[in-house]
Amino acid sequence: MSLLSLDKATIQFGGLIAVNQVSFSLDKGDIFGLIGPNGAGKTTCFNLITGIYEPTGGSVTFDGKVIAKAGKSAGPESIAKMGICRTFQNIRLYGSLSAIENVMVGGFLRHRTGLFSALFDLKRAADETVELREAGMKLLQAVGLDDVADVRSRDLPYGSQRRLEIARAMATQPKLLLLDEPAAGMNPQEKMDLMEVVRSIRDQFGMTVLLIEHDMRFVMGLCEKIFVLDHGEEIAFGLPEEVRANPKVIAAYLGEAH
Amino acid sequence: MDSVALRRLGFRLLWIALGVAFAFLVQWVALSSGQFNSNGQRLFFLAGLYVTLAVSLNLINGITGQFSMGHAAFYQVGAYTTGVLAAKFYSDGAGLASKYPLPWLIGMMFAGGLVAALAGFIVGLPSLRLKGDYLAIVTLGFGEIIRIIVQNQKSLGGSYGMDVKPKIDFIWLSTLLAIATIAISRNLLKNVHGLAFLAVREDEVASSAMGVRVTRIKIAAFLLGSALAGAAGALLAHHETFISKDTFPMDLSFIIVTMVVLGGTGSITGSTLAAITLYLIPERMRDLKDVPVSYAALGVIMLIVTVAFVRRTMEKDFSKLRTVKLVAPWFVSIVVVAVGGAALKNVGPLSKVIDGQQLRFVIFALTLITLMLLRPQGIFAHHEFSLQWLKKVLARFTKRSGEVAS
Repeated sequence: MSLLSLDKATIQFGGLIAVNQVSFSLDKGDIFGLIGPNGAGKTTCFNLITGIYEPTGGSVTFDGKVIAKAGKSAGPESIAKMGICRTFQNIRLYGSLSAIENVMVGGFLRHRTGLFSALFDLKRAADETVELREAGMKLLQAVGLDDVADVRSRDLPYGSQRRLEIARAMATQPKLLLLDEPAAGMNPQEKMDLMEVVRSIRDQFGMTVLLIEHDMRFVMGLCEKIFVLDHGEEIAFGLPEEVRANPKVIAAYLGEAH
Repeated sequence: MDSVALRRLGFRLLWIALGVAFAFLVQWVALSSGQFNSNGQRLFFLAGLYVTLAVSLNLINGITGQFSMGHAAFYQVGAYTTGVLAAKFYSDGAGLASKYPLPWLIGMMFAGGLVAALAGFIVGLPSLRLKGDYLAIVTLGFGEIIRIIVQNQKSLGGSYGMDVKPKIDFIWLSTLLAIATIAISRNLLKNVHGLAFLAVREDEVASSAMGVRVTRIKIAAFLLGSALAGAAGALLAHHETFISKDTFPMDLSFIIVTMVVLGGTGSITGSTLAAITLYLIPERMRDLKDVPVSYAALGVIMLIVTVAFVRRTMEKDFSKLRTVKLVAPWFVSIVVVAVGGAALKNVGPLSKVIDGQQLRFVIFALTLITLMLLRPQGIFAHHEFSLQWLKKVLARFTKRSGEVAS
């Protein structure tokens, strides 16, 4: 059963067509790769799915509901609540908050207590805070950051910041996790660790993962299915081996022989 | 009720009792022993209001990151709401307000807060689309609009002003309002809701992607901050008994913003301390008499030299930095100004005098510039006062002096 499907989704900025009639669908429980050369429209695709941009044509369906169609989107906040969460290509953590506080913000969207109970520090707000902190600590453990829980996220090393972003996104309890270049700037060892983390997230939490990545070893080693974009258009789709052998993909990355 | 909940309730009641006790202590200090005249007592009253204003603006500016420069307008709206209501129900010393001053005043705080919150909601709307400088300009404009409307409204006394009768003067209530404002801010930050406010300040795009309702949080911050300022306005109106356009000058909003920035944006402790200091510096200097040019000129020169020197010291390796090196230059320059000023007092043009009342604001401005040069992140930066924080600071201090000794 498909969890997310794009149907001829198009985004046009003035004269530039960033995403052109892209259609694909994700099955539950897959680790799915979205690749393509720079400027192919990968991140724009993410912004479309998470509601930051509205499509100018086509539609996006998630979990049986249309979340975006031409000129209209449910908006990032509702989409997050429905169960899609993401990380960002250029890390967007809350720099002056600690690691655990970052993750707690992720868990906030399902809060039950109102602002009033927080302003008067009523027991139910305090209890919820403790609950979210504990849940957050578990997630930090899952990505191996529980020992730096109280460090300001700005002061964490780069690789840890990337993993913290994953933990924060997971705190929203998504059904679909979008990772935008999660391995960028990591050394080979960190990349291997990250692959393990992503795999264990899928296995433990039954999450579906869609990721953008430039490191081919990472993508080929981790993803079960790969979708290739170039100039906003779909050029290939399939298993890693198929995509790797596809002449169109090779041409997109290396240029064509003349 | 289980024992944990009971303990919690006990602690809560204890804190409330302490807060009320402190408020009455402030009133007792202000009224007793006759060391303060009515002007001195007014200082205590207004200090409470300024703390309320700064801490409530910190909710909007510091915690939620929405740069608002029109905070005095909410203060004014609260005061004028009270003025209008008081005029309606006052009849030559026999109205509701005279019979039940305390309940009346508390009611006015709610009324003023409510109307100010409505104004806050309206100002908050542009914050949904605007950020940073642009939002600052819009809120500044809004404050001016309110000021000018009031100035030209005949029913509100126009540019003459309006009487607010009777005089209700509870110093403790102003202190208590300040304490309540601090408590509310602190409670917010203690719970996960506060983290959502901070998240909006840090990164709106990421916050909305995490499902945080950014719009709702910004509006809530404006509602809350302006309501507290409105309540402060209600207290002011009945204390002053006369409000006019001059009670709320244009620079009032700037001073409140300065308090927040100087204390350390986002820090409740910082806003509180900065509010008290910045309010008292110009007030205490009202007694300043004529000052010879020699002192003033030498003071400015030494200030520049000292700031430059201290900045250079601070730029060096921080781990080897000794507190003495930061403090000593100040003492040296004070001595130089005192001795040099006295020596040059009779030399030609330096013997002229400057009016102390003019100098007052120069000193105020220089204090701000100095602090911003030496500590741009604000006095308290993002820290809050707590026992843990105190321990940390003390530990660092003793460690450093320990290194010096060895």
